[in-house]
Amino acid sequence: MQIQFTLNGQATTVDAPADMTLLKMLREELDLTGTKCGCEIGECGACSIILDGEVVNSCLMLAAQVDGREVITIEGIRGEDGGPNDLQEAFIEAGAVQCGFCTPGMIVAATVLLEKHGYPTREQIAEGISGNLCRCTGYQQIIDAVELTARRRAGEEI
Amino acid sequence: MSELKTVGKPTLRMDALEKVLGTARFTHDLKAPGMLVAKVLRSPVPHGEIVKLDVAPALEVPGVVAAITSEDYVDHSNWGFPVKDDYMLAYERVRYVGDPIAAVAAESEEAAQAGIDAIVLEIKELPGVYNVHEALEEDAPLLHPELAASENEETDAEADPQYIEVQAQGNLSETLIVRQGDPVAALEKCEMVVDQHYSVAHQEHAYLETEAALATPTPDGGVIVYLGDQSPFITQSNLTMTLGLPADKVRVVQPKYIGGSFGGKSDNMYETGGQAAMLALRSGRPVKLVLNREESMLGSYKRDAMTMHYRLGADADGTLKAAKIDCWSDSGAYASMTPFTGWRASIHAMGPYRYDACDVDVRGVYTNNGYSGAFRGFGSPEVQAVSEQAVDELAEKCGIDPMDFRLKNCIRLGDTFPYGQKLEESAGLDACLERVRELSDWDKKRAEYAAQPADAEIRRGIGVGCFFHGCSQGAEGADNATHIIRLGANNRFEVISGLTDYGQGSRTVFCLIAAEAMGLPLERFEWIQNDTDVSKDCGPTVASRSTMLGGNATRVAAERLREQIRQTAALLLRCEEDQLTQEDEEFKAPDGNSVTLDDVISYSRTLNIPMSATAYWEMPHIHWSFSEGRGTPYVAYHFGAQVADVEVDTRTGKTKVLQIWAVHDVGRVVFPEGAVGQIIGGIAQGLGYGLLERVDFQEGQLTNPNFDTYLIPTAADMPPVTVEFVEDLLSFGPYGAKNVAEPSMVPTTPAILNGIYQATGERVRHTPANLERVLLGRDLKDSVVTVCRDGICERARCDIG
Repeated sequence: MQIQFTLNGQATTVDAPADMTLLKMLREELDLTGTKCGCEIGECGACSIILDGEVVNSCLMLAAQVDGREVITIEGIRGEDGGPNDLQEAFIEAGAVQCGFCTPGMIVAATVLLEKHGYPTREQIAEGISGNLCRCTGYQQIIDAVELTARRRAGEEI
Repeated sequence: MSELKTVGKPTLRMDALEKVLGTARFTHDLKAPGMLVAKVLRSPVPHGEIVKLDVAPALEVPGVVAAITSEDYVDHSNWGFPVKDDYMLAYERVRYVGDPIAAVAAESEEAAQAGIDAIVLEIKELPGVYNVHEALEEDAPLLHPELAASENEETDAEADPQYIEVQAQGNLSETLIVRQGDPVAALEKCEMVVDQHYSVAHQEHAYLETEAALATPTPDGGVIVYLGDQSPFITQSNLTMTLGLPADKVRVVQPKYIGGSFGGKSDNMYETGGQAAMLALRSGRPVKLVLNREESMLGSYKRDAMTMHYRLGADADGTLKAAKIDCWSDSGAYASMTPFTGWRASIHAMGPYRYDACDVDVRGVYTNNGYSGAFRGFGSPEVQAVSEQAVDELAEKCGIDPMDFRLKNCIRLGDTFPYGQKLEESAGLDACLERVRELSDWDKKRAEYAAQPADAEIRRGIGVGCFFHGCSQGAEGADNATHIIRLGANNRFEVISGLTDYGQGSRTVFCLIAAEAMGLPLERFEWIQNDTDVSKDCGPTVASRSTMLGGNATRVAAERLREQIRQTAALLLRCEEDQLTQEDEEFKAPDGNSVTLDDVISYSRTLNIPMSATAYWEMPHIHWSFSEGRGTPYVAYHFGAQVADVEVDTRTGKTKVLQIWAVHDVGRVVFPEGAVGQIIGGIAQGLGYGLLERVDFQEGQLTNPNFDTYLIPTAADMPPVTVEFVEDLLSFGPYGAKNVAEPSMVPTTPAILNGIYQATGERVRHTPANLERVLLGRDLKDSVVTVCRDGICERARCDIG
């Protein structure tokens, strides 16, 4: 079936089977492999994407459900020059990346968290990314990265 | 040592950018033209005889291109080290739920699944055994009757002292021992004795990227396997053996990015690679095999569950005297690494203390509970989670503060370990304990929590765990690495290693060391992914050995390459090499003339100077006597201590860890951000091991095969962690470095459990310390446990705890 939606700011049409998950469509039909598959039951958050401003697990949605809606994947999260944005820079700077498999989903979750909270507390950050599992880092440096971004966006001297 | 310019200085991870952008391609993300999709048929029963297996009907399914069984391989796909007891696909028998039996490659995932469903499989179920003590009973069903029957065969143990002699007897795969004096007699003389039973549960690695392989056939009848494993040369050797191909026709290439491992990407990856490779050979097309989470959890090995009986004795003044320790490790269906984890467990079971007398016996036992193998720490977290509780129990009997007790008895510089090795250098345990005591404000908190009102429902406790952990493989086997540094594109130097970076950061560590040794900026270096056609065999990427082995090989190669550069610069500047001075990338002659590195490289090309260097480095040789249980097991040790401040809600049994302080002696810190990341990441795994994680086998059936039921810590479970390092340098480590990754989780579990004890007054001796055990002191359902009296083990239905 034909699915028309906005993907990372671009009008996109995909012809996909009706039972295909959104995750599979992104990875296999569109080759957007930044969105990862970790559990397929909505527990690990590696497949997080932004749908109409909310974080969703793309493994739990059918591709057809995004028809007429707006999807942002990790490939759509960029700075003005097309390189990393301030949040992605902060992930590098704070040491928030190890194996990197959870990283795109973490950045997606943190993007929405920062949009909603502006200046979240560390507890709010931890809560906000608790749907995203990371087995490498122990999360502290990820929380540092999100906090660093919030402080910079608030104009604080770091 | 002159002042370091690169090593130990703040540096960003070299592979972080592509990971934050989502452009890093993992094995999951690879594709090839005409690629088929593979699926594996796995055993639904824990123990059975394959009566009928016919894959011909699968080949009739539209879209199915190839279907294989053990018959497609050499010697029925038999492989395994140190015990050759496993198969790429099961032969005649299945021994655990998830044991792979057959595999299919098809045009689509749906067709592959339809092919799997069409396979004719009949299994005659055999009685299973699910408890290590039952498995050792005389009439227990045998998992490997053929191994058990060969117990009297001569081995070449005499010829090779490095060999772990595997003596299968019934379901007992091996016993690893440590011996010193007569602990039974010594315990009788001790005024204070702890005699307790403990256990630790199976733990799942839970790497976020599941097992995956992409195998592509080559025109000359060989195969290239893209595989995110730990040790591509071991994969190559297992594939060569089972596929029946010469080594030059089996190439294993690691994708540049691997989604975590923690010791968990060995045996299962050899099998995944071996299955994909055979399907590629049979179909003549590229084949991709990706396991979903349930398949991964069913088919992969775990950290072994262990039951333990500890007897520790001390004088009334709190001087540790004797230890008698018996452990039973649940090896599961295959030996995998259990003979080696059992050995590491035997060395570390006493904890980092001085004793007059000790006996340790660690037995690896076959059962039908999945199978066990390597997992971060490799036997050491299992036993030190327990020894550190037993030590706390003994300190309490002696009326001594747990921190004082440890400082009184811990191994210090110049002390001798119970197995006879003298600690000659890099011995920072006492410094770690002193510092963590100060950082955590131990004495104040300990006193404050001891004075909590008896009726307080939310209770606080503070606990400590300290540890030692042998660096690298030790006397397990040959321990060496060969690295190459060569001039690559854009005048950058390529560091080529046979060691794997699955996220722990070794590419950054190696490039930092190369930059330091050559006096050049880090940007001049690039790490090349592991590839059996390009890299040299460096042994396995295990045992936190990369920094020491690969770091030293990098350092030596870089020093040699630096010589080539300096000689070429001297030629260009018409001076003697020893007259040169180097400032970053500029080389100056005494006459004031100078050239840049790029000038030198251009000139080297005209002279055909290769600009590459290869270096081999090996660990100092040591010897351990497996029959006597004495010797030198490791060349050096990582030491550390952690304190956990916990809060227990006595109404629910919920434990919240409020803060952890960690101080580790890792020798030189090479890559600070990476080292801190390894410590905190390890602490998260240790917290999960202590409070949440248990792979739950019920009569061999895994009941929690995904993240909705197998819980690992989330960001909301993690406390703030403070990390500090004691850099007690090791003379033969690269710039003094030891190791970081594996040991970081070891003290976390006992620190939390000891904290829970101070909070509640009830000791949870069986992990995980979940709500039931903390609240009730036992599991909700009755549990069958084994009680050991006078050395005789008997089963009893009783409450745990």
